[in-house]
Amino acid sequence: MEHLGLSLALFGAALAAALAGIGSAIGIGVAGGAAAGVMTEDPNKFGSCLILQALPGTQGIYGLLIAFFVLNKLGLLGGGGAVALTWNQGLQILASCLPIAVVGWYSAIWQGKTSAASIQMISKKPEAMGKAIILPAMVETYAVLALLTSILMLMGVQVG
Amino acid sequence: MSYVYTVARLRGMENHILDTAFFSRLMDSAGIDDALKALGETSYSQWISQNGGNFDKAIDSEMLATCEELKTFVPDKELLDIFRLPYDFHNVKVLLKGLFKVRGGESEGRRYDLLSKLGTIDAEELTNAIETEEYGFLPYGLTDLIPQCWQLWDATKNAQAVELLIDHQMFRAMLGVAEGLKMPEIVQWVKSRIDAENLRSAVRLSRMKYDSTKALPFFHDGGNIRADDMARLLNEPQETWSRLLSHTDIAGVLGALQESGDMKAALSDVSKSLDDYLIRVLDGAKYSMDAPANVLLYLLTKEAETRNMRVALVCVAGGLDREFGRRLLSNGR
Repeated sequence: MEHLGLSLALFGAALAAALAGIGSAIGIGVAGGAAAGVMTEDPNKFGSCLILQALPGTQGIYGLLIAFFVLNKLGLLGGGGAVALTWNQGLQILASCLPIAVVGWYSAIWQGKTSAASIQMISKKPEAMGKAIILPAMVETYAVLALLTSILMLMGVQVG
Repeated sequence: MSYVYTVARLRGMENHILDTAFFSRLMDSAGIDDALKALGETSYSQWISQNGGNFDKAIDSEMLATCEELKTFVPDKELLDIFRLPYDFHNVKVLLKGLFKVRGGESEGRRYDLLSKLGTIDAEELTNAIETEEYGFLPYGLTDLIPQCWQLWDATKNAQAVELLIDHQMFRAMLGVAEGLKMPEIVQWVKSRIDAENLRSAVRLSRMKYDSTKALPFFHDGGNIRADDMARLLNEPQETWSRLLSHTDIAGVLGALQESGDMKAALSDVSKSLDDYLIRVLDGAKYSMDAPANVLLYLLTKEAETRNMRVALVCVAGGLDREFGRRLLSNGR
């Protein structure tokens, strides 16, 4: 039981990186499918499609950021060995990782779908690129809020 | 199966569909040479040069090329089959009618020139199958249907009855393919198509003063409105049809019938309105990034384009009344 706290904290870091990453991969895949369809007919739209396809990728980065934050807090990045954690502290870190893990996973998939719809929109109305970016960016708001929540919660957990 | 790629590609292809304004301008051409020149920058130009200026064949080639292109990236080929299947049944009608004439002693009965290449079954294979009476491999219930057609012909010598038998089977087959796809919006579209065909028949039969009991065989089952309810319309004055069908979304089409005093124009207006209605039924798919119905919507819009092209070029080539021609243009895009 002496390493349970550390295990729970690492499990939280893994969840943040993995779930948000999976969501981003699915979201980028969906948007990429739409981009490929549009570019088959008009390869000149590569630039616009690339920007829209990249948007759902941010959740994966947020998840990675939180994972780094946790590893840093646990002292695993500097090579000095892990700090001692009670199971209660480990559980607090795990809970802190959940907002970005869950919201990141789900919002990336939906952002990918919105990006795909926006890519189809610019296929017909290239002049509406600004509006096409804003629509998937609205979904991003909630991923950013989840990231902030995870950061604030992690900052509140006292370790060592 | 994901339709994100398919729908996105269709969105790109939609940009090349010619709009009604283009056809209206095309009709203002001084002659057919000017009109064909105006098509120089469209996808039709390659087919016109390949078919030696024969615009009828060029239009068919454009539609066929579209179907072949879609076949390469649409995940469910049955979606294309629903669109192409009526052309198979058209070919069966052409071949059987030709053979009926040949058996009746007319040496020039066969009309291979009327066969369409748009069917799912290769026209040559279908011709061989029907002429050699080897129907075993034919899909959509044709294996049983063709012998039934022969029996009916031998018993009645009534080509119209045979045609109706073929149409009944066509709609049954369309409904079967749609139900197999498990896509409710496609099933709904096929039902609407049956309603549209029944309403078209009702308008024609009403002009010919048919009553509901004699007219019932002309109506197809499987639509949203029951065939006998459609037949009963014939007992009522046409002005009341719109009210009688007000619980359905097809009622709006009848406005064209009531607004026009000219019978010939009214029939063509209803026919055009029904074609537009069948596109409108799928309109909701436009707002979805991955609805499979977009495939059918694109094909119908393309078909409306080819129909408009034919109307415009026939008007220009034949020196027909341009205003009447403009009235026939569908609002595909």
